[in-house]
Amino acid sequence: MMDVGLGPLGNAALYLALAFSVWGIVAGAIGAIRRDARLLTSARLAGVATFLAMTASIAIMEIALLTDDFSVSYVASTSRAGNPLWVKMVTLWAALEGSLLLWGWLLSGYWALLSIVAPNSPLRAWALTTMAVVQTFFVLVPAVIAPPFEVISPAPLDGPGPNPLLQNHWMMAVHPFLMYLGFVGLTVPFAFAMSALLSGRPGSEWMLQTRRWTLIGWGFLTAAIITGGWWSYEVLGWGGYWAWDPVENVSFLPWLTATAFLHSVQVQERRHMLKGWNLLLIILTFSLTLLGTFLTRSGVVSSVHAFGDGPVGPAFLTFFLIVMAGSFGLVAWRWDGIRDRADLDHPVSREGSFLAGNVIFLAIAFAILLGTLFPLIVEAFTGDKVTVGAPFFDQATLPLWMGVLLLMGIGPLLPWRRANTQTLRGNLAWMTGAGVIAAAVAYAFGLRGIYPILTVGLSGWNLASLTLLLLGAVVPRMRVGTRSVVQVLTGYAFENRRRFGSMIVHFGVVVMALGIMASSAYRIDEQVRIEVGDTMPFQDLTFTVQDTFMETTEYRVGAGAVVDVHRDGSLLTTLRPKINTFFGQSMNVPTPDVLYLPLYDVYLNIAAGVTPDSEFVVLRVVRSPLVAWVWIAGFIMAFGTAFALIPSRRGVRGTQRAPKGSSVA
Amino acid sequence: MTRVLVVLAITASLGGLFLWGLLRGSPDREVESARLNRQVISFDLPLYPRFQGTFGPTLNLATELNDKPVIVNFWATWCGPCYDEAPHLQAAWQRYQDDVLIIGVQTQDRGKRVEGEAFLDRFGITFPNVIDDDSRVSIDYGLFGVPETFFVRRDGTLLYKHTGPITLDKLEEKIAELTAS
Repeated sequence: MMDVGLGPLGNAALYLALAFSVWGIVAGAIGAIRRDARLLTSARLAGVATFLAMTASIAIMEIALLTDDFSVSYVASTSRAGNPLWVKMVTLWAALEGSLLLWGWLLSGYWALLSIVAPNSPLRAWALTTMAVVQTFFVLVPAVIAPPFEVISPAPLDGPGPNPLLQNHWMMAVHPFLMYLGFVGLTVPFAFAMSALLSGRPGSEWMLQTRRWTLIGWGFLTAAIITGGWWSYEVLGWGGYWAWDPVENVSFLPWLTATAFLHSVQVQERRHMLKGWNLLLIILTFSLTLLGTFLTRSGVVSSVHAFGDGPVGPAFLTFFLIVMAGSFGLVAWRWDGIRDRADLDHPVSREGSFLAGNVIFLAIAFAILLGTLFPLIVEAFTGDKVTVGAPFFDQATLPLWMGVLLLMGIGPLLPWRRANTQTLRGNLAWMTGAGVIAAAVAYAFGLRGIYPILTVGLSGWNLASLTLLLLGAVVPRMRVGTRSVVQVLTGYAFENRRRFGSMIVHFGVVVMALGIMASSAYRIDEQVRIEVGDTMPFQDLTFTVQDTFMETTEYRVGAGAVVDVHRDGSLLTTLRPKINTFFGQSMNVPTPDVLYLPLYDVYLNIAAGVTPDSEFVVLRVVRSPLVAWVWIAGFIMAFGTAFALIPSRRGVRGTQRAPKGSSVA
Repeated sequence: MTRVLVVLAITASLGGLFLWGLLRGSPDREVESARLNRQVISFDLPLYPRFQGTFGPTLNLATELNDKPVIVNFWATWCGPCYDEAPHLQAAWQRYQDDVLIIGVQTQDRGKRVEGEAFLDRFGITFPNVIDDDSRVSIDYGLFGVPETFFVRRDGTLLYKHTGPITLDKLEEKIAELTAS
């Protein structure tokens, strides 16, 4: 019997997936043009078949990783025989080739699902064909351009293991997965938008059919960005979570445009306006996911997240340019058919505020894109090398974020078309009152500076707005029945899932704004040197270095210090910051230890190497107020999104029109 | 039509900018070793048993330099490219062992003796190989990764450092420079 290695087997699965996805394009396009039902069914089956083939390739790669088959190039370059099981499993997306394979697999999952569940509408054929085109690119990458299944002969006996920064925290198992689910989720509305343009039906159909997919993609992207920040906080050792690094920026760009899209589709849904705008936004969102991948995987923009350069950069650039020219070109070509016929009745209306919000989100996205590309542009024209750092991004976007918070409070309270001035005045009075009181309390507690005080004031404004929204919903219902407050509230929440979910998300945004403000404006970051056995006061805390330690596990050596943290004479906790060195890697990984408290975090990191006979330790101490609330806010936002997505008993698969009066915002 | 042209123009200019960014290459990635022409740090490391008959239990770089210039090659059993370059090193050793000493240093590979023996067997390696079990020497030499190969003149200064798998051609070129100096 011939012995076939896992490498060729994996490649076979990929080539099969490539054949199926190409067939998906051919059958889909010819079927759509000729309206041939048999071809269209075949194209749908191609989606399912591609998914099965991609699943096989993923399974083969996992088997190779788990059985330490170092004849497979990806395993040889990123895995290590002695690693724990969970690390081996997630090594699949610990480096470029594997993570692109994962992307292709998740995409095929969405395509297959869409092939099965998408309702039989005139849009389906071209939407699935667009999915097939995108899928073909994402199979071509692992099959030809960045192949993970190359055969290495002779096979090495062991590998170096994944990047130690990724081995050092379980969060890394989650973050890339969420990111790709987000990117892939936003491919679905893009595909339907393309279909709307190709089939000459640029009305609201495409957007109604994909509302749920958009929200899913957006939710995953949100969760991915927040877990990325959390990982950075727990692993990188500087006590921060956002550094305006190009990789962070480019993951944020599609989030901004997707957020704008999420709001402006409602204007189209209710008022049949912004048709062209929405098409442009979703195309922009999808293009930005490709641009981001290109920028970060090509070495064109320098970043600390070096994925190295290679053939992947040019491939993504080519695909990005094709998508740009093709999709925006299509919009330009069809523009006369998609131009709005309705006009804004009045700027002070729900749609007016959504439109203003859209402009702000796009302005933020533009500022970030400009800041990220600026070094490249300058170098291209003058040859000078410049960098754009956090101060630019902070100064350019902070006023705009304040605008977002302002509009977030007022928008949901405004009715469509035109506001009733009297109700509006009443609401504004309450909100302004709450905002002013909150700002005054903040000032009394010692907050200074325009942005911290504004943030607190606007948080008060938003909390008042959310309260008014809830009261407006609950009070009339209380009057007509005999149910208790809790019953009415749960009844309202479950009857208006999108609206209630949006309120939860908005509440999460307020919590997040407060967390970001406090942790960045009032963070204390110092380096201290403490003799072993000594005690040192720090703010309202004291640190006692009990001992140093060295621990060896099967996978790594850790050397660090045992530090008792006291407040008011009582022991809060014992922290054990250390530096890990993984076997097979020469790089040292700082492993901070964090005490999470509601009011502030105490973050200790070893700043200079410790040996068992060290007489002192150098610690980096970061005390960030309210930083834990950034992660809690992430959970709240994810919960709100999930709540809005709970299928309603009336709706089937979420592809029907939502009940009147509900909205996501 | 004008709109389509505008879209194409924007795409083309973005494409031009990024293409330039790609073609510009990665600036300053190739940094010459700061240790060039300086004294390398000597080491005294245990040898694999099969070489102990010729050299004794340990091998000292400074002592060997009294005799000939030395090529120090760092490798590990988990390192794929090391398997590619091993035959080249062995071939160079067979041709030039009268002019130069090649020393293999197994590094960042704690406790992997059995695997190390298998590596030596696989390529029939006959030049001496030592074990840098706590990776101290790799730190002394400022290794980024394995394989890396250092060409040391008889006076103990560094002539050249090679990063990544080395080929017989490159070895011959640098051995000529070593023996000429």
